[in-house]
Amino acid sequence: MNIILEARDIRYQYPGNREVIKGISFHIRKGEKIALVGPNGAGKSTLLQMFNGIIRPSSGTMLFDNEPISYDTSSLRKIRKRVGYVLQNSDRQIIAPTVYQDVAFGPANLGYDEQAIRNAVSMALRHVGLEGFERRPPHRLSGGEKKRVAIAGIIAMDPDVLVFDEPTSDLDPSGSEDLMELLDELNQEGKTIIISTHDVELAYPWADRVILLLDGRILQEDVPEVAFGNSKNVRKAHLSVPMLLELSQELGRHGFIQPERKPRSVLDMVHIITNMVNSSYTNTRPGVISVCNVDKECKTPLSVWIESRQNLVIGAMGTRAKQRASQENLALEFTYGVIDKCILRALRGLDSLILTPGSMVNRIFDRVDAYCSESGNEIAVIPMNNSNHNPEPGLIVEGNKESLIN
Amino acid sequence: MIDANLDYIAQESAFRHIHPGTKLFLALGSLILCLISPTPVVPLISGIIMSLVLILPGRLSPAQYGKILLGPAIFIIMSTIVLLFMLGGGNVIWRFQPVPLIDLSITTESVRISTLTLCRVFGCSVSLFFIALTTPMTDLFNSMKRTRVPIELIDLMMIVYRFIFIFYEQAVEIWQAQVMRLGYSRPTEAVRSFSRLCGMLFISSWNAGEDLVRAMDCRCYNGIFPSLDLAEPIKIKSLITVTIYLAALFGILVVMTPGIMVFL
Repeated sequence: MNIILEARDIRYQYPGNREVIKGISFHIRKGEKIALVGPNGAGKSTLLQMFNGIIRPSSGTMLFDNEPISYDTSSLRKIRKRVGYVLQNSDRQIIAPTVYQDVAFGPANLGYDEQAIRNAVSMALRHVGLEGFERRPPHRLSGGEKKRVAIAGIIAMDPDVLVFDEPTSDLDPSGSEDLMELLDELNQEGKTIIISTHDVELAYPWADRVILLLDGRILQEDVPEVAFGNSKNVRKAHLSVPMLLELSQELGRHGFIQPERKPRSVLDMVHIITNMVNSSYTNTRPGVISVCNVDKECKTPLSVWIESRQNLVIGAMGTRAKQRASQENLALEFTYGVIDKCILRALRGLDSLILTPGSMVNRIFDRVDAYCSESGNEIAVIPMNNSNHNPEPGLIVEGNKESLIN
Repeated sequence: MIDANLDYIAQESAFRHIHPGTKLFLALGSLILCLISPTPVVPLISGIIMSLVLILPGRLSPAQYGKILLGPAIFIIMSTIVLLFMLGGGNVIWRFQPVPLIDLSITTESVRISTLTLCRVFGCSVSLFFIALTTPMTDLFNSMKRTRVPIELIDLMMIVYRFIFIFYEQAVEIWQAQVMRLGYSRPTEAVRSFSRLCGMLFISSWNAGEDLVRAMDCRCYNGIFPSLDLAEPIKIKSLITVTIYLAALFGILVVMTPGIMVFL
């Protein structure tokens, strides 16, 4: 993969000689999900602000797309168009008196014409699930909605890299899960995503790579299992080991499982434990996961299709799918971590339906494929409309995916 | 936090969907008629009709409306009392002399002028409240843009409008924190607490200003503040209704003014 952002021995001193970044080098590849994790005051925000040139390092070089960032006005505009930055406090990021004006701010200043601005705004609001909010003033929105407006304002500029400073700091748990899902969706569309956080439980299952920061230096930079697995470093950085990792480490110490197996999710953990107790899952015929693309018109109405099935539970990925479910009065069982939960259900021989936006279809297939090839289980994933006949388990028919996406 | 202010009422108004131009035409039209009317009847009628329109089809709760009018009402009643005693001319109706040299009297002319002033202020206030209670600021910005108010001024107004709510919320938070620790229990303490509140607000507005510049830079600010033109088109029906109402009001004005026939 190509490197999109690179730091070479970056240092930064605030006026008054307090050095907050003390020589940092790293690189970020296109399409990666990176979590910058560290305690308060570790220099996360300062570092993030260097990615789009808001802060200029005192020494060292920042490179974007293999070119050193230059700090003249026109180059900065180019960088800021390609690297979107979402502030921690969305109240401070939302400038305009209405949602529409705020989201249109970036596109208008990039010189789009009226029609292009309108398109960009409606695309961005659709993404974050705030259609119909155009005329609302920001002070009449909830914390989660404000965050979404702030993100929409950045998405409207269609950047390649999205940088989030503490994205879930003022959201409730379900708001955080919705947001992380939105980040996944954006990543699925090819955007590189960088977040800063001190929430290890959040970063652990989500990130491709974790950069542990402490006191202006990189403590460790690795995949989450390794970065968080080093309990000495984790303690040093005033963080805690993620619960799943701690559990598996403990089970490993007790000799129940091989310590090198590190679960990233509840699904992984269940898989490990199943192997451990030699469960009889293999005797059960796995359930079927049906997938409905909410961006496409379905041939049969959703409610009719659902009524014809028993013991079916429904999960929705992303805001649009959740909106569709509430329009159709569907009771949702799963609203986050949907794919894993449906796989867990399928392992118990039960069927489920996933409502998803088109951009996430691939992710469902990939995740189930990956799980099946690793565990040796066979779970069928089929588009909703094709699943009137009973499929053979394990047959993910090529072409199914295409029929959902196109 | 902020649930019962003018902006909230305007956002929820039943007249929200009517084009701001039509509403401005109605309000400014009746405002001018109230001001030029030499008799108290026209502003009185205009004030009462507009209040009824706000309460009945506008679905504004009378209690809330009464509360809003209370502020200006107290002010104007006090001013009218002063006017009653200060102005002279005409016959004396009532005289009061509490001590020698101080002579308080009410004359026919002072009654006429203070009644006129009272009614005018009532009519004009209701006209202005009509705009404030039915048209959110966000809609007014567009109308201003169309009437060629300098764009820099509108941009500034939009930013100010956006930040009023942020600072208001912050001020309330600081105030609550102070009250919780008995910050206003004694007069000296209250003065000190209030000055600290102002100081904190100043610092946080300074920080907010820096963040604002950063947020604008992040989105490639180049001097453009987009406008939102999603207002419904002007509906002929409502425009005609407003025109007929203003014409009728003008008719009353002409009939009630004896001298006006001279100019016609």
